[in-house]
Amino acid sequence: MAKLTGVLIGCGAIAREHLTVLAELDNVDIAAVCDISTARAEAAAERFGIARSYTNHRDLLADIQPDLVHITTPPASHFPIAMDCFAAGRNVFCEKPMVTQYSDFCTLKQLARDKRCMLMENQQFRFHSSIRRIEELIRSGELGDVLEVQICLSLNITETGSPYVDQNAPHFGLTLSGGVIGDFLPHIAYLVYMFTGQIIDTHTAWTKHKSSSPLPSDEFRGMIKGERTTAYVSFSGNAQPDGFLIRVSGTRMRVEANLFEPPRLVVKRSRIGEPALMTLVDGIAESRQVLVGSVAGLLRKLAGTSSYDGLKEMISRTYRTIELNQPQPIPLDEIDAVAHLVERLSNVGD
Amino acid sequence: MKVLVTGGGGFLGRAVVNRLLERGHEVRAIVRPSSPTPSWPATVEVFRADLRVQEDLVPAFDGVDAVLHLAAATSGNEDMQFSSTVVATERFLDAMAKSAVKRLVHVSSLVVYDWSKATSCMDETTPLEANPYAMGGYTIAKIWQERVVSRIAAAHSWDLTIVRPGFIWGFDHTQIAGMGRQFGRIYLLFGPLTRLPLCHVDNCADCLVNAVENPAASGEIFNAIDSDDIRVWRYVREYARRTGQRGVLLPVPYRVGLGLAQLAALTSRWLFGSKGKLPSLLTPRRFESQFKPIRFSNLRVKEKLNWTPPLNFGECLKASFHHKR
Repeated sequence: MAKLTGVLIGCGAIAREHLTVLAELDNVDIAAVCDISTARAEAAAERFGIARSYTNHRDLLADIQPDLVHITTPPASHFPIAMDCFAAGRNVFCEKPMVTQYSDFCTLKQLARDKRCMLMENQQFRFHSSIRRIEELIRSGELGDVLEVQICLSLNITETGSPYVDQNAPHFGLTLSGGVIGDFLPHIAYLVYMFTGQIIDTHTAWTKHKSSSPLPSDEFRGMIKGERTTAYVSFSGNAQPDGFLIRVSGTRMRVEANLFEPPRLVVKRSRIGEPALMTLVDGIAESRQVLVGSVAGLLRKLAGTSSYDGLKEMISRTYRTIELNQPQPIPLDEIDAVAHLVERLSNVGD
Repeated sequence: MKVLVTGGGGFLGRAVVNRLLERGHEVRAIVRPSSPTPSWPATVEVFRADLRVQEDLVPAFDGVDAVLHLAAATSGNEDMQFSSTVVATERFLDAMAKSAVKRLVHVSSLVVYDWSKATSCMDETTPLEANPYAMGGYTIAKIWQERVVSRIAAAHSWDLTIVRPGFIWGFDHTQIAGMGRQFGRIYLLFGPLTRLPLCHVDNCADCLVNAVENPAASGEIFNAIDSDDIRVWRYVREYARRTGQRGVLLPVPYRVGLGLAQLAALTSRWLFGSKGKLPSLLTPRRFESQFKPIRFSNLRVKEKLNWTPPLNFGECLKASFHHKR
């Protein structure tokens, strides 16, 4: 079977993650990359053995008819590039956040439907090994009813030297609602949506902890009530150490994972027995899970596995659905619901 | 001569501006908007710009006779370094192409060489690193920066000089890669008798100003090092003594360190194939580029420019550490 063709527009840090993953897919050939910087485009092409590089995405789309276009530019340029891709009849796999305002998403969604093109947003953590394990526990009934989900993302974006607070070259995230935190809200939003389903109500609080920071806000808290359960979410630009913690509490067990440290996952089951003894049993079980997970995590790093656990699975599934002419891996209406939730959460004035 | 200096507010930039002033030149220094202005005389024109994002850089070249391009990132992740070093250079030179300036002195680095191919002595004939991506972010950025400079200069027939300094050191920048690694009170010296390609910041500034002034530098590439007389053991001993950071100097023969790195690389390849990743110290190519015991020649810059470093090692030590004592 002939290989599928992909191209990538925007050759920054996240592009390297895409290209690393794509190099591992047997059924995909990356035909070209594009960046407004000639050197960056050529460096990406040289590094990954890609035949062609461009500095204008319209030239690329005129020369090549790819099965999928990866858009990995800063968010403000996603909308016009995606519009050009649809005009050329191409499927789109766009980095998050797909758009800077929800109305732009609605335009893209309509155009994608009209042109019968795929419009995917990178929601890699949905396919993260720990998230898939949690989903299994829910599906199998082992976790019981999901009562609550907590998602806490901590990144020291305010530290000196951080690109998020670089006053010489303002970070692209500052163009988003919610400032640079808006760059991370899609991750929180799609994970919430996975567990809560349709959103009923949201409450948010935005604060600034570091007064010297140029950011409008560096802390975010939210509570989201959904049709299936409730989620408490937070983003901290100051809490240390960095981590992306998820805790799902069910009627039979509680599951905790740090999505930055796959595949470490701690499952705490409700046990029957002498409480003091059970404390010891739980402690030993937890230690074993942490140890095994940590060793596996170290081996993953030494093996050169992408730190973006879930990205390979997501990209692979996307190409597979194109190959088999199936519906896109994440339905467009679900991406819509997440985009809408992001807009609700990022409304700093709430 | 009026000289435009990029990276003027940086470690090397400040020394270069001072040397240019000493030599009687006019200076326009590009300094990032948020950086403090160094204590320069009022005659120095400060042009506030970040080369990565500044909309219009062309006015920076008004009335300029020569450009000394020093701007580069020395920290940050790979993408940040590429952006600050390479993309910034691309944008800067695109603006230069719209000006009347034709003279460019570019500051590169010894990291652009393929250290594995330098058998006994590194000089300007040593092959360049052909696979930058096996190296770290700084090396990738400096290799690409030199490629961009060479390409754009050739396209516009500019009068280009490339200077590749060794380990630039001086006041507040006395920790250099070739020293080895410090773990608490222990200094691990890989090849204690290895020669260091030191280039003191004041000597480097003098060499660069010489390259700007001297017509013989036109179209040339020079390695800029003071000498390779100073060995790791001596430098680290001086560093530990003069910074008051007393500790144990633990020498590790270069071959032992490299052997360990090669063993780690073999194990990684056996376990994980070509995708395996190791820390810099355990990556043989990167280990070599920091600690390889070879000689470093500065014959070319001495012969072509008749340059000798103004400060000897003792004077450099005095200039670099006396504030700390």
